[in-house]
Amino acid sequence: MIDYRPPVRHATQGAGASRQVTPSRPVVSDEYRGVEDMAGGDHADGTPQDRPVSRPRPGSLEVILAEVAKGDDAAFRAVYDQAAPAVLGIVRRVLRDPAQSEEVMQEVLLEIWRTAARFDPSAGSATAWILTLAHRRAVDRVRSEQRAAERELRAATASIAYDEVSDAALTSLEQQRVRRCLDGLTDLQRESVTLAYYGGYSYREVAQLLGVAVGTVKTRMRDGLIRLRDCLGVE
Amino acid sequence: MQARGAGQHALVGAYVMDAVTEAERASFERHLLTCEQCREDVRGLREAAARLAEAAAIPPPPERRERTLQAAARMRQQPPLVVSHKRQLLAGRRWRQGSRRLPQFAGDGARPWLARVALGAAVVLAITATVFGLHLSAMQGRLTAAEQRDTAIATVLGAHDATTLTAKVTTGGTATVVMSHRMRALVFIASGLTRLPAAQAYELWLMSPAGDTPAGMLPPARRGMSGPMVVNRLRPGEQLAMTVEPATGARRPTSAPVVLVVLGP
Repeated sequence: MIDYRPPVRHATQGAGASRQVTPSRPVVSDEYRGVEDMAGGDHADGTPQDRPVSRPRPGSLEVILAEVAKGDDAAFRAVYDQAAPAVLGIVRRVLRDPAQSEEVMQEVLLEIWRTAARFDPSAGSATAWILTLAHRRAVDRVRSEQRAAERELRAATASIAYDEVSDAALTSLEQQRVRRCLDGLTDLQRESVTLAYYGGYSYREVAQLLGVAVGTVKTRMRDGLIRLRDCLGVE
Repeated sequence: MQARGAGQHALVGAYVMDAVTEAERASFERHLLTCEQCREDVRGLREAAARLAEAAAIPPPPERRERTLQAAARMRQQPPLVVSHKRQLLAGRRWRQGSRRLPQFAGDGARPWLARVALGAAVVLAITATVFGLHLSAMQGRLTAAEQRDTAIATVLGAHDATTLTAKVTTGGTATVVMSHRMRALVFIASGLTRLPAAQAYELWLMSPAGDTPAGMLPPARRGMSGPMVVNRLRPGEQLAMTVEPATGARRPTSAPVVLVVLGP
C-alpha cells in the first residue's frame, strides 16, 4: 500500500560540497541594504550564544518589520524580497503543487503585512516568526485537504525534497551548512525531521512511514532538531 | 505529574514542526505556560527549523511580487496590542497608605502554587492556543475584540521574560499574573473567587505613588475561572490590585484591595 523508499543518504554531499558560493540574493531595496538575507548569507559573525533577536541591528528584518507595522510600503517590499523565497520554498516542499504554493506564499506575506505590529522580538527572530507562520499555513492546508479526502500518502516525499536541497539552483554557505548538519543526524533523526518539516507529516504518520513507535519518533524529532540547532549555531 | 511533564517535553520537536494534532498543540501550549525551559527550547528549535526552510528557498515568479504588493496596499493592518485601561482619562487618586492591608503575596519561589494554578493558566492557554502558534485563519483584515485580546494574551505568554506570579485573594481564591516586563504587559486570571452579588464586581487597578488607574472590570467567573484579562502599558513601580466595586465600575478604588501583586522593581 505504502510504497515508501527510504530517504537517500547524503553523507558525501555535505562535506564534499562545492565551496563555491553563488548566493542568489534577492533584490533588496536601497534603503534597506545590509540586511541579513533569509535565503543565504553567512552567519559567521554571530556566536552561538547570540540570539539574533536580542540585538536588532539597523536594517535587520526585525527593524524593517517595525516599519511595515506603520504601513511603510517600501519596508514591505524589502520584507517580500527577503522572505518570499524561503516562504515559497517551505510551502512548496509541503504542498508540492506550484500554483497552490504560490497562493499560500502570498497569503503568508499578506499575513505578515497585516500582523507586523504583533511581531514580538522577544519571542524569536523575525525570520523564525515568518517561517513558522509559513510552515504552519502550509501544514494547515494539507490537513484540511486531508480531512476532505483522505490523503494518499505521498511516498518518499521527504527524500525527494531533500535531494532538491542539493539540486536547487541556489547554493549558499547557509544551504551547505544546513546540509552538513542534516548529515550529522542519525538516520532516524534525519528522516523524522525531514518527513515532518519538509513532508508536512504528523509524528504519527511519520511513525507509520518509518515503522517505528510513535514515542520513538517524538524523541527523534526533538533530538534531531536540537542537534540541528546546536550544529547551526542558533539558539 | 513528573512523567507527564517529561512526556510533554518530548513533544517539543513535533510541536515546532507542526507535526501534532490541534488537541496536542493546545495541551503542549498549556504545558509551555509553566515551563520556562520549554519556551526557551521552542524558540531555539524554531530558529533551527527556519534554517531548514531557508535552505529550501526558491525564487518566486516575478509577477507574483507586484500582485502581493498591490494586495497589501489594499489591506488594512492590525493595530498593535490593545490597551485595556484608560490611563489618560483618569486622574486617579492615591490610595491611602494607612488603609492598605497587604494580602499574602507569593512570588516566584512558591512552587506549590504554580502547580495548583496551572489549571487556571491552562484555561488562558486553551483560549489562546492557536494564537500562540500564529493563528492564521482570519484573513478578513478585521479582528474581533476577542481575537485582539487573545493575540495580546498570547504575546505576553510567549514573551521571553514572561514570569508567573501567584497571590492569594484575601476574600477567597487565587490570582495568577503572567507578566512580561519587556512587553510592559500582563495577563491576569483568578480562580475560586468569592461570588459577588449582582450589583458588585471585581475591578483591577494599577497602583503607584502617582495614583491608581482602573485596569478593567473582571468578567463574571465561568467554571470558577475569572479572566483572562490583559493589562498593558505597565510602568515601573506599579502594583496590580483588585477591589470589589459596584458592577458598573469605579473611577477609583472604594474599598481595600483583596489582592495586591507587586509586579517588580
